[in-house]
Amino acid sequence: MSGQGTVCERERLERGYRRVLAWYPRSFRAGSGEEVLAVLLATAAEGQTRVGWAEAWDLVRGAVRMRLWPAAARPRAVRAAVKLMLAGAAAELAAVITVVVTAGAVRAAVAAHDSAVVPPVTAHLIAEMALLPVAVGMWLWLAWANGRGEDWARLLSVSGFGLTTMGLVSTLAEGAAPFARADLIAGAAVWAIGLASVVLIFTPAAGRYYRPALQPARQ
Amino acid sequence: MQEATFLILTALADRSQHGYGIITEVRDISRGRVRLRAGTLYTALDRLRADGMVAVDREEVVEGRLRRYYRLTPAGTGVLAVEAARLHANAAAALARLRPGLAGGLA
Repeated sequence: MSGQGTVCERERLERGYRRVLAWYPRSFRAGSGEEVLAVLLATAAEGQTRVGWAEAWDLVRGAVRMRLWPAAARPRAVRAAVKLMLAGAAAELAAVITVVVTAGAVRAAVAAHDSAVVPPVTAHLIAEMALLPVAVGMWLWLAWANGRGEDWARLLSVSGFGLTTMGLVSTLAEGAAPFARADLIAGAAVWAIGLASVVLIFTPAAGRYYRPALQPARQ
Repeated sequence: MQEATFLILTALADRSQHGYGIITEVRDISRGRVRLRAGTLYTALDRLRADGMVAVDREEVVEGRLRRYYRLTPAGTGVLAVEAARLHANAAAALARLRPGLAGGLA
């Protein structure tokens, strides 16, 4: 270790670490940011001036984990619901793929049976292709928000489940139902996952975890 | 329990340690095999603290930087003891079953 160069290098390295630490939740940085920085500087190799790839990856992974799964003691029901919602996103994605893959076959089968219902069935298929990807995003967002214990996320989850139910019912009401068995099975799977996760987040144990929707206003 | 978590708890089993101390202890305990990185360590500590297994023992300021010492809580001690007993039993069973094979191989 000698003179000015080392100090300059350290400062550069510290700035680099601070940039990566900015990925962490604000609350964590406020409580432990300086402490983590001290450990990073203590473990850095001599003469190191920039953050290594492996270090950066390790830090970013930790930050993402903390943001997605905050460490607040989460009741088992909520943890299960979050996992189910992630599964719901996967199931929804599978449903999109099923609808896209089977669209041609469904239309052909419907046309052979009754050509008059082809336009509404086509419209329904297009609407599903457009809406289901949005639904995948919704599932992920709700999994994240419910995991954080946001009370609005519970209400939004119920609304989402209501929409899923209506979507399923409208598919059943459509004349195409007998010809789109794969779509129906995928839709029913998504619906069942939605039902289970909504039941879980409204159990009494989960209820205590969610913040009250209206907090007393304080000046 | 993940190995990193197990080793962190082990590092804190007999005395409190600060972050850098845990990293060096874990390296020694695992005979140099496990080199914890800061991100992994603090993500694990954050969770262990939330789960009530680890608590802050005391804080010091060294060279203008905060140094926080962590210790096991009674709950953490209990969890570590159960996990260690489980791993010990598994290892003992594995060794007991390997022994005749090894003896046979040597004969």
